[in-house]
Amino acid sequence: MQHKKPLYGKSFDVFLAVPLVIYLLLIAGLTLAVFLAITPKSILQAFEDRAIWDSISLSLITTTISTFFSVCVAIPAGYILSRHRFPGHSIADTLVDLPIVLPPLVMGLCVLLFFNTSVGLWLDRGIVEEGLFIYQPLGIVLVQFIVGCAFAVRVIKSGFDSMDPNFEDMAMTLGANRWQTFYKVTLPNAAPSIMAGAVISWARIFGLFGPILLVAGTMRGRTEIMPTTIFLEVSIGRIEVALVIGALMILMSMAMLIVLKRLGGKGYLL
Amino acid sequence: MSVNEIELEQICFRIGTFEMSDLTLSIRKGEYFVLTGHNGSGKTLLIKMITGLYRPENGTIRLMGAIINDLSPWKRNIGYVPQEGLLFPDRSVRGNIRFGQEVRRVGEKQITESVDRVARLLNIVHLLDRPVVGLSGGERQRVALARALAFEPRVLLLDEPVSAIDENSRDELCSELRRIQCTLGITVLHVAHAQREIDLVADRVGQIKAGGLQNIIALDRK
Repeated sequence: MQHKKPLYGKSFDVFLAVPLVIYLLLIAGLTLAVFLAITPKSILQAFEDRAIWDSISLSLITTTISTFFSVCVAIPAGYILSRHRFPGHSIADTLVDLPIVLPPLVMGLCVLLFFNTSVGLWLDRGIVEEGLFIYQPLGIVLVQFIVGCAFAVRVIKSGFDSMDPNFEDMAMTLGANRWQTFYKVTLPNAAPSIMAGAVISWARIFGLFGPILLVAGTMRGRTEIMPTTIFLEVSIGRIEVALVIGALMILMSMAMLIVLKRLGGKGYLL
Repeated sequence: MSVNEIELEQICFRIGTFEMSDLTLSIRKGEYFVLTGHNGSGKTLLIKMITGLYRPENGTIRLMGAIINDLSPWKRNIGYVPQEGLLFPDRSVRGNIRFGQEVRRVGEKQITESVDRVARLLNIVHLLDRPVVGLSGGERQRVALARALAFEPRVLLLDEPVSAIDENSRDELCSELRRIQCTLGITVLHVAHAQREIDLVADRVGQIKAGGLQNIIALDRK
């Protein structure tokens, strides 16, 4: 008769599980603390304020637009980096990752510095006198795009990497030209990683704060997004409103995490 | 007078330490030619050069007398079945078979007729609405073959099409390949290892060795 229990004991696994349990308790405790600190009064107080609604809608709009553009750039970029080895490939591959590892505030400084050059000044103030990017909502989109695109490229490229290029060759022998091969074979097969790239990109830029503060500022009703709201509310002593916004951001991020897990993108989390 | 469907003239190709030099081969219209050779002798490379996935460094590839060296793979109208089948995993069996017609923007009625015709020819009508995941090795190769035949190619290239399936199914599929080739009158270039496989299908057999073609033998099929 076979025994289901292994011959070795569980004490080793229990020992290894201790750090995991401590970490999980820490995360759960911190998250729960935010929700426990919220009262119905603070929720009412937060949502009675028109500026809070503006901040939520601007956050959702800018994050969604930035994610869209990030994915639009990440699909061709990820494909080229995955399928081809060209002079400077490793440099390009490293540069793409730079916004992931660069301290966010430094990245914001780099954007500010760029808009201080003649090309940057022309781009910012050449068309519209009051500026297109600096202290403007478009500046939020730009900063979010720079960061989000890096994550999207990384995730989408890994999807192309895991796909056998022989399928593309096969499609071409069946009569599909390069474009047809790309949209009928490559894209459908890479769809889960493209979706995962979009979700991760969205989740990462949704909470971006430092570089946006530098580039777009904290103008109420104009360039205020949810992380900025938390900063502003804390700075004027309305901690309870900041907590409501924080809880809302936690819920939205968790919803994105569920979407990602549903898409099977667990392995793509960076 | 017999017409040559495929003509390879002094094909040269070098990749790493492997070198194919001055390979010349003519395959007659409606002929079933089997190419043998050791692993790494360049059989798959040659097949991929005919499909247009690789370009020879030197030499000429002709299809029905026309030079096709610079013709893109999608314009060659050559059916190709690789060893592993390479069925598109996101499509059903039917979706795989209709792929070649879809990209040619053929009408829906004609696509349906083609799919039904090749499905009957290969006895896979019962598989049409199944996903490709879960098909057996033999079923996968039949579907790959149906997909390659659905757009009525001039030439069929088979790269070890039965090597990944069990021995009984192998004999059965080889006999069917021969039957289909006779029914359609299509020219076939088939890469094979096993003598049994060669005996079942070949009109002529040639061995690729040291980057060149040797020992071309015609088999008596009467």
